Amino acid sequence: MNTYLLQLKRSPRAIAGIAILLIWIIAAIAGPSLLPYTYTGMDMDNQMVAPGEAGHLLGTDALGRDVFSRIIYGSRSILTIALLTSLLSSIAGIIIGFTAGYFGGIVDTIFLRIMDILMAIPPLVLAMVVLGILGNSTIVGLTIIVSIAFTPATARVARGALLTCKSNEYVDAARIRGESHLYIMFVEILPNTIGPVIVEITARFAYSIMMIASLGFLGVGLQPPTPDWGMMVIENKSLIRAAPWTVLYPSLAIASLVIAISLFSDFVSKVMINEE
Amino acid sequence: MDFLKRFAKRLGFTLLTILAMSILIFFLVEIMPGDVAQTVLGQSATEESVAALRDRMGLDDPLHERYLRWAGGFIRGDLGESLYMRGVQINTIFWRKVGHSIVLAFTALLFYVPLSILFGVFAGVKEGKTPDAIISFVGLATMALPEFVSGIILITVFAVGLDILPITSVIPIGENLWQNLEILVLPALSITFVMFGYVSRMQRSSMVSVMKADYIRAAILKGMPRRYVIFRHALKNALLPTITIIGMNMGWLFGGLIVVETLFGFPGLGSLTMSAIKTRDIPLIEACVLFITFIFVFSTFITDMLYAFLNPRIRYKRGDV
Repeated sequence: MNTYLLQLKRSPRAIAGIAILLIWIIAAIAGPSLLPYTYTGMDMDNQMVAPGEAGHLLGTDALGRDVFSRIIYGSRSILTIALLTSLLSSIAGIIIGFTAGYFGGIVDTIFLRIMDILMAIPPLVLAMVVLGILGNSTIVGLTIIVSIAFTPATARVARGALLTCKSNEYVDAARIRGESHLYIMFVEILPNTIGPVIVEITARFAYSIMMIASLGFLGVGLQPPTPDWGMMVIENKSLIRAAPWTVLYPSLAIASLVIAISLFSDFVSKVMINEE
Repeated sequence: MDFLKRFAKRLGFTLLTILAMSILIFFLVEIMPGDVAQTVLGQSATEESVAALRDRMGLDDPLHERYLRWAGGFIRGDLGESLYMRGVQINTIFWRKVGHSIVLAFTALLFYVPLSILFGVFAGVKEGKTPDAIISFVGLATMALPEFVSGIILITVFAVGLDILPITSVIPIGENLWQNLEILVLPALSITFVMFGYVSRMQRSSMVSVMKADYIRAAILKGMPRRYVIFRHALKNALLPTITIIGMNMGWLFGGLIVVETLFGFPGLGSLTMSAIKTRDIPLIEACVLFITFIFVFSTFITDMLYAFLNPRIRYKRGDV
């Protein structure tokens, strides 16, 4: 544990990433209760006021809604969904990828072919079509569909990680002891692949944010009046000359969050590679 | 011989993938909740007219018959009739939009391929030094941004701030894309933002490993000009992984086009797909998604073949497919 902290100390990028991420997490948890405005509250006398005026830190949109409050509220849904999708798709990927890699042979071949076929459609397109058809996305629906769209990729990573450990002696030892396949896969092998698995989960977290923001932007994410960063951008895009803050600040919120997570996940993958 | 064998095997698998995808897309879209004919005609339509439309569209036929009819039409080049724009053959609008998207994609390629290779080589040669740190940070940051975020930043700077490029990429009625080339710049730059990170990182890491090879050190020690060694000897070998990454990302690029085209209102395949989804225009959704898949699968296939062809180790060895 100490060596991780030491390496972290030497990486200003990673520290910056973690700091920004922590700020967003705190904002998401505590922020809404501290805000003077709600995300639907319309200040009819102050529509499209510039940042800093009339008590609105980041200005208001065309309906007089406080941009800052909407951004803080919006951080809740995007962080929740992204965290859940990165965990769910990684768990599903481990179960599927481990099963294929462990048993090998025909099971593995079929698995690889199916994954190749599923990966032929970009995850964004898949999620967009399904969400568009089903309509009215909820947090649960969005989480499930994005997780499914990600699973072929995570399963491939998990399978690769398992293959590097599969031929180790402790696996043979467990087999000779007469342990069950499930025990060998999840008690013997899984802890030894934890490095690549953690790398995958953190990288997936960044992808999830990107994906959820993009789906919101395309109008197939969470539905109004729930504040969603991507949706805020497309809703106000026509105001980019008249009230640029309504578009620019949600974009910058997304940018700061994804860049922070990328810096963190880049650090995690470097640490894990060094360890090997 | 091995190359041909690999080619045949890959081609077979590519065709199989497209077949499987076409089935998946068809069933995914066809299980859409609600009565399609009712949706098209609106709630006020009479029962008879709904029934007549169902009959005309063949909606009451078994699913597999409808799939075969649809897939058959596709193979013959008949994409069917749009549901939303009634009476319009999809073929009459589809290919023009695809053409626009291809022009946009190539403009983006023209921007980001030389740029990322150049910076990747530079970072690789300066491994561990300040330029390397800056380039890799910029790459990491831009790669993480969704296309519409980089697009908004570009619009704010170049369209709103400097006012030198248009905010939207709409083609005025009665004109064509070639008369409005400036509308390509910001969308293509938005894609460049995302792709730069991937390609330059790949180029950097392959450059770093090639620069450590014995033949490069020998060439430098022999007294050859460093620039010559970098561009003639090292780059030639360090380009292979980059080509692969560019080819493999073609599908990604077309996925990203949906977001970019929606942001700029660019009349291409991406915004067509989006409006098809919004209007629940089933035949059009199917055509768009299948076409995107098709581009992705074939660019992967071509990349793979190019890689095998350019890499003598695969060209002459028994290929493991």
